[in-house]
Amino acid sequence: MRWANLALAGPSLAAVLLSASVCAAQSDTFVHQKRYTMGTVFEIVIYDDDLPMANAAAQAALDEVVRLDSVMSNYKPESELNLLNRTAHFHSVRVSHELYDVIEQSLYYSQISDGQFDISVGPVVDLWKVALAGGSLPTNDEQAAALRCVGYQKIEMVPPDQIEFHSDCMRLDLGAIGKGYAVDRVAELLKTRGIHRAYIDAGGSTIYALGAPRGANAWSVRLRDPSGKAAPQIMLRNDSVSTSEQSAPSLLPGDSPGHIIVQDTGKPLKTRYVVSVSALTATTSDALSTTLLLLGPTKGAALTKTLQNVSAIWISSDGQRIVAGDSADFQLAGKKLPTSLSPESDATIETSKARKDTNQ
Amino acid sequence: MKPPSLLCALLLGSVAACTPAAAKVFFRVDPAPMPAAEKTGIRDLVLTWPLLDSSVIAQLRFKGYRLWLQCESKDLADAVAAADRAAVAGVIITNVASSGQTPVMEEIQSYTAAHNNLAFRLLISGGKQPQMKGRLVVERDGVLQVSSPSTQPWLDTNLAIVRLAQAIYPGSLPILYDFHWNTAGGPPGAWKPDAEDYALAIAEADAARSDVIIGFPAALQRALNTGDSQAWSLWKKVVPYLDFSPRAQMVKAQPVAGVGVIVDETQASYEPVNLMARHNLAFEAIRPSGLTPTRLGTWNSVIVFCSLNSETAAMVRDFAAKGGIVIFVNSHDEFPWHSTAPVRRESHSTTYTIGSGQIVELGEPVIDPENFARDIRRLLGRERTTIALWNSLTTLVTGYREQDRHETTLYLVNYANQPDNVQVQVKGRFLRVRLESPGEPCCVSLPFVARNGFTEFTIPSLRIAVRVHLESGEEGSATK
Repeated sequence: MRWANLALAGPSLAAVLLSASVCAAQSDTFVHQKRYTMGTVFEIVIYDDDLPMANAAAQAALDEVVRLDSVMSNYKPESELNLLNRTAHFHSVRVSHELYDVIEQSLYYSQISDGQFDISVGPVVDLWKVALAGGSLPTNDEQAAALRCVGYQKIEMVPPDQIEFHSDCMRLDLGAIGKGYAVDRVAELLKTRGIHRAYIDAGGSTIYALGAPRGANAWSVRLRDPSGKAAPQIMLRNDSVSTSEQSAPSLLPGDSPGHIIVQDTGKPLKTRYVVSVSALTATTSDALSTTLLLLGPTKGAALTKTLQNVSAIWISSDGQRIVAGDSADFQLAGKKLPTSLSPESDATIETSKARKDTNQ
Repeated sequence: MKPPSLLCALLLGSVAACTPAAAKVFFRVDPAPMPAAEKTGIRDLVLTWPLLDSSVIAQLRFKGYRLWLQCESKDLADAVAAADRAAVAGVIITNVASSGQTPVMEEIQSYTAAHNNLAFRLLISGGKQPQMKGRLVVERDGVLQVSSPSTQPWLDTNLAIVRLAQAIYPGSLPILYDFHWNTAGGPPGAWKPDAEDYALAIAEADAARSDVIIGFPAALQRALNTGDSQAWSLWKKVVPYLDFSPRAQMVKAQPVAGVGVIVDETQASYEPVNLMARHNLAFEAIRPSGLTPTRLGTWNSVIVFCSLNSETAAMVRDFAAKGGIVIFVNSHDEFPWHSTAPVRRESHSTTYTIGSGQIVELGEPVIDPENFARDIRRLLGRERTTIALWNSLTTLVTGYREQDRHETTLYLVNYANQPDNVQVQVKGRFLRVRLESPGEPCCVSLPFVARNGFTEFTIPSLRIAVRVHLESGEEGSATK
């Protein structure tokens, strides 16, 4: 993977991308399907000469996401995850391969992030989700009670297919990894159906690119930039990118609710950064985007350097940009930056660049 | 997103809007043959003025249709003359704002007064095809996309422009909206728009209780007229929705709304109001001149997007003193309550306690409408929320109260076109809850529970549209 240069920014960008893509075009054809599932809109684009086959593949892929939602949803009372949440306090519960797999992978990210990524934070997340949806803010007592239930160490994996909780109030929430896992399953399904050029989007937060569009080397994706100055772009080919950002702060008096919770405090993360992470799988990019947002650029960059085929960019609302990773190749606002800079030096460079842009 | 161009509304200040007894669905067609109205289920057709061959009017009328002419305001005289000659049902006036004619209003009024045989309607701009949108822009050889945090589905809905237009056009000339179809994408060889697209557009207008003009593609018109089986297969799925809308006749329907939105233009308020609609915050919009203590008394909260004079400011203060919540957006005016110390002053907001209520003044315009809508819901809290949906991010709900029948009707529209079990919570106690679905006889009783002053029930497998009838007997009705 590589990060691409995009010297132009602002309103002209879309037009540039559009014309570039059209100019690079051969005579490919595509199908585009979308479906509401996992609380967002999943979209699949397949380029293939056999449109009926591509259409059937897209349909099957979205059916698979819906099926996985019935496994991993914490909104659907009858989902397999909720069955686990209701019963694993009492005894080990046999689960599907998919649920076992995604929870096992989640525990890996908990371990490498020293518990910052933690799917057992569900009870605390639920408290703040109520506030996000318009309910009242949780009290300190409510937060303390919910925090007591949290701790990935209390999840016991019993190979090959059973799980047990060592807490009487534990409740898992796969919101920070489930969509990525579903995207990977969709990519596998499409490959088995002979699809070689596809773009899979889970509501904008996790994207996987299978192959490349005809006549191009990769799929280009602009990344979220709260400063509007960096215009970062990534080229994807058989890999993924995920973006995480805390909910926008409230204009009203009092604490702002948020959907990304700091495990230690049980309170919504306060950060001025947005982070985008690229990795070979969507499960990895999805889990790491939340993790690296929670860790922040200094600790996050250190973690990223220990991981293979992972790169990340933090962008702040005031234009600071921090880059980390093995294979990152950034060029931002027309200026190529060396990879794997220390956060401090990188931030300094980018801040001054941002100021220059502003003055222009 | 561009707000609807309701600037013309200022020209039309004395033309009043009225809410129709039921939404009327017009189809804009080519001046070409159509199958018989009894087969299509369509009643009203719109032809665009000028017509090259006006004999088509007689032909279509012979097929059972009621005809309307759509004209720009600059062509009104000629169009009305032609409408008189052809004895069409009425004239739909568009492009009022850009006509450049300052006495447009007077001209329209003169025609409406002089032509009692014709009905007149104003077509507002800014309508959008109702749909659940994806995020991708797909071209033949690439995808345009910006990554983001996980986002809820984006619904393109016309509820906000209808509500705002009904407020800004305070008069007796009905308004209606239209939109352009997006025909890209879809399975190869399939009709686009498909049956579900038409059904959603009809259902949305029904829920907004607003007339709508739906474009009727020429290809579909030809195919239906030549008896194409695929075209008829599509259209037969639409007919139940055409039949469904007129079944909702309500003579004295009042919107169920806990929130009053006070506006005098739409530039600053459109997006926040649009997001309020998408978050199912039941609201009514009104101009400051229409504000009365009685009207205020029907709401529990008020959001002010414009300046108030001393009289209306005093009304709003009294409303707060009785327990109401008032939110001023981008407020820099001086008010009498500023003589008291605020209970909270933060970077974005200042809060005053007035009697048993409060006034929150936001010192800047709404930058993030999504966040604003969430803030409003949080500020209202559960007790002030009139209607709430749970676990259904793609469904919008509107409610209307029939004063003389002790009945409240909810209109639910699912923009995802996928079956969804929608959990509904309505403030108030009801004796019966009945579900009405397109293509089905009315009605099916729904089980419900009454809890803490609310009525809760689940609508099973809502795919596009249903109505729910809440009968309150003499106990009360959906309350603010």
